[in-house]
Amino acid sequence: MKQIYNATLKALSIGVLVGAANAAMAADEVVIGASIPLSGPLAGFGLYQKWGYETAVNDLNKAGGLTIDGKKVPVKLVIRDDKTDPSVTASNTETLISRDKAVAMLGSCTPALVNAGALVAERRKVPLVAGCDPLQAFKSVRKWQYAWVMFFDETDLATAPFRMMKDLNLQTNRKVAILADNGPDGALVGGKIWPETAKAEGYTVVQNTSFPVDSQQFTSMVAEAKSNGADVVLVDAIPPQAIAMRKQMASAGFTPKILVMEKGAEPEFFAKATGKLANGVLVGGYWDPSFPYPGAADLGKRFETETRQTQSQHIADSHAAAQVLLDAIAAAGTTDREKINAAIAKTNKSYVIGPVKFDASNTSAIPITVMQWQDGKAVVVWPKDRANGKLLFPLPESK
Amino acid sequence: MPNFDVVVSSMASGFLLGGILALIALGLSISLGVMRLVNLAHGELLVCGAYLSYFLLSHAGIDPLVGLLLVGAIMAVIALPFQRLLIAPLAGKGMEAPMMTMFGVSIILQNLLLLAFSADTRAIEAPYAARPLSIGPITVSEIYVIGFVVSVLLVGCVHLLVTRTAFGRELRASSADATAAAVMGVDVKRVHALTFALGSACAAMGGVLIGTAFSFTPGTGATYLLISFAIVVLGGIGNIFGTLMAGIAMGLLQSLGAVVLGDGYRDLVGLVLFLLALALRPQGIAMSGGR
Amino acid sequence: MLTSQLSHPSHPEPLPSPLELANMSRFCAYLFLPACLLALAVIAPAMSDYALEIGFRLLLLITLAEAWNLLAGYGGLVSLGTASFVGIGAYALTGLVNQADVPFFLAIPAAGLAAALLALTVSRAVFRLRGLYFTVGTLALAEALRMFMVNYSGFGGASGLFLSVDPPGLLELFWTALAIFAVTSLAMTVATSSRFSILLRAVRDDEDAAAQIGVRPFRIKLIAFLVASFLMGMAGALQGLKVGAVEPYGMFGIQWTVNVLSIVIIGGQGLRAGPIVGALFVVLLSELLADYPALHLAITGVILIVVIRFAPKGLVGLFQRRPRAAGGVQ
Repeated sequence: MKQIYNATLKALSIGVLVGAANAAMAADEVVIGASIPLSGPLAGFGLYQKWGYETAVNDLNKAGGLTIDGKKVPVKLVIRDDKTDPSVTASNTETLISRDKAVAMLGSCTPALVNAGALVAERRKVPLVAGCDPLQAFKSVRKWQYAWVMFFDETDLATAPFRMMKDLNLQTNRKVAILADNGPDGALVGGKIWPETAKAEGYTVVQNTSFPVDSQQFTSMVAEAKSNGADVVLVDAIPPQAIAMRKQMASAGFTPKILVMEKGAEPEFFAKATGKLANGVLVGGYWDPSFPYPGAADLGKRFETETRQTQSQHIADSHAAAQVLLDAIAAAGTTDREKINAAIAKTNKSYVIGPVKFDASNTSAIPITVMQWQDGKAVVVWPKDRANGKLLFPLPESK
Repeated sequence: MPNFDVVVSSMASGFLLGGILALIALGLSISLGVMRLVNLAHGELLVCGAYLSYFLLSHAGIDPLVGLLLVGAIMAVIALPFQRLLIAPLAGKGMEAPMMTMFGVSIILQNLLLLAFSADTRAIEAPYAARPLSIGPITVSEIYVIGFVVSVLLVGCVHLLVTRTAFGRELRASSADATAAAVMGVDVKRVHALTFALGSACAAMGGVLIGTAFSFTPGTGATYLLISFAIVVLGGIGNIFGTLMAGIAMGLLQSLGAVVLGDGYRDLVGLVLFLLALALRPQGIAMSGGR
Repeated sequence: MLTSQLSHPSHPEPLPSPLELANMSRFCAYLFLPACLLALAVIAPAMSDYALEIGFRLLLLITLAEAWNLLAGYGGLVSLGTASFVGIGAYALTGLVNQADVPFFLAIPAAGLAAALLALTVSRAVFRLRGLYFTVGTLALAEALRMFMVNYSGFGGASGLFLSVDPPGLLELFWTALAIFAVTSLAMTVATSSRFSILLRAVRDDEDAAAQIGVRPFRIKLIAFLVASFLMGMAGALQGLKVGAVEPYGMFGIQWTVNVLSIVIIGGQGLRAGPIVGALFVVLLSELLADYPALHLAITGVILIVVIRFAPKGLVGLFQRRPRAAGGVQ
């Protein structure tokens, strides 16, 4: 009967899957898993992460692989798409560990996804190294043991514009308008750190508006900012929103002296989509091929040659995260997860992203620099020892 | 409460934006009215229009407004075989089958767009895309005004098409009673195909305006799908003039919501209005009962 | 649907009598299926983690699909609001565990009740809508709820909430999923082989006619809606428990609705075995194509279209060659 047929089908399929799962994977390789957003709203990040992870692993394999228990063994990187859905990240992390026998994991991008994967890894006692997760958002979840993150700290990011304005002695009317999304870092940066820093530095916050990540219309808050006459506008929003906001500011005839757009103004397509309007927009950055770190310039060039797209900071943090993990496995010399985890804790080396050393809360901070879009290129304008261009101040009027 | 200038400008912007939303919703309305087709791929058609215009601009230098009708025509031509192949065979099998088919189409389209164009946010660049227009205390975006004028013109044209031409007569007959229309000699299949093409063209043209005024990614369609439904229901399914009124009303009310509650609540206000309209008067707010 | 039952194609083989069919399905429901579930529960400790993970996912999806099938397939209420009940269930569980230290086995049904409460609240408004208005209305409701959760910081806003205790191990989660599936199966069997099923189908086929012969459509629809939302809420709660972190985009996102819809369409709407076959197919496909994400997404859309076009009763419908006996219970 139909129901017997279907119940048997169900039992059979689970049996088949169990069988497939137990089919021995090649014992002569070290498997590393990564669940990253290759589709969905964050697909852009996923692209960079995929390149960064794969390049690090391929380079290592070309150099002979890892020495595990005395034998030279290649590394196999298994990448799954988590479709920008935390439930899928969690599920992928589980299957990467249980089906593909991943020895360790590389993280996804943005707090929601990284957390989902890290929680699974933590429960299964599998080391996970991630690079795309602001530190406070990571630390606020729990005390981690097996998850490690190397990225910037939101406090550093948030105070950077103020430090820059003080350092370069920029004259403004000291009125600040804050427009931030209500995601984890938006709420922290826009809701807490920016207002506090502004007050501490003697600025007046004339407006502090928060909005959800999927809105596209900002005309009301822009009009309000304009009528409040703020010279300094601080924005924290994702790229589609930053683009819409920049255009709507121009459409409202609003040109503040300083316009900072964290997160949103970071990728190159922001500049492409806003054209001349991008000139003068400031954004916090943590990497540029011009930085004096080992292999930085080469990495940028390689990416551009191989993918024919413009480089992004994310190739560096993902490449470094992968290398940190691979180095730790090499240092441990075994696939024992506890030993690998202990080796990660002892990391103390300079990578393409800069020096990496994890502190007691499993984080390693990357210092922030301030970058500015000038004629379609991201120029580092602060601090002075990293700058490779001059600051454009004030924000040019949109013609 | 922000000051007078801000409020007035916001309301004006909302009014103008509403016109553009009405154009987008129009396509959905006529599909629904004539073919009872719940086109869940409507948002993707809109985004396709935006991408088309983007590439016409970058490869042939055609300004988005100049190429607007061209984009509409191309979209209509692409939509025709879709309809013949996927929707026409399901005629008469109820509402769900075509709806789910369009749903499948929307998944495929979204992923095709993602594969082809990557997830990067794009915007169609034009000199008037981000310029302010000030009349007294009111400052609105120039593209909103342009978009509004274009949308009203197009809606007007569709209205004329439906009420004054032979095709329009056949369209109204088919939507009122398909069997009776067939008996009277109307090629209902052809009418359905052309209606779908027209609806897709409207969506695509609306997409061009949206792409110029704002930005778009392969996933942008979903947001506009729901708003379009809201406007269609508010204005009365198949009621073209009603759709225009409803679009403008939606734009105004959303702006009001934004001014009072904050921009983040715009979409929520729109949805709540929609739900209210559904609960109180599902057949639409517009007074005229005719199509 | 009525016409197909009235027409009499010539049957080459003798049909089972309605009594035989009913007995068969009762046998399956009360003996065979529980036996299978029990067997699974017993061998669970011996299964690999991968099998447990896949099994968990499968059971959860089947539960959701069965619930949706009850609403849409049997009840004719094509709802696009699955995500809201899943989300409510997940958040309710997190809230109960975090704030009130409720043990898991109590929190899950409680979360289901929370979802049913939501269903009850909106039922009056939503049942005034028929056909496509109902469908679009549930979609609007789900989206409005999601937007509200994103904006309102009281429930964690866009960052969401984290479970303050460690979730149970995979084995316990698998057993819980089995238990929930058992409850679902029982509910579905009762709903589809009792008088209620006839009432439900009467309302589905022609609500006004049913009302005229004494059926109370609102009450029938409400029962189906409450049961379905209760099951969906429990499934959501279990998922929330497993991930340990809930936030609006993941728990109230449209992907829940989309996936469940696809499963039931592919498996076969309004058919008892539809959700199971559909879920099996979808999960198998997703595991086979795990290394080719773009292909997987494209294929899902294509399969959906192909199934709708050529196999409107889904995969299960394809296997049903024998014409149904008039009035027979499925």
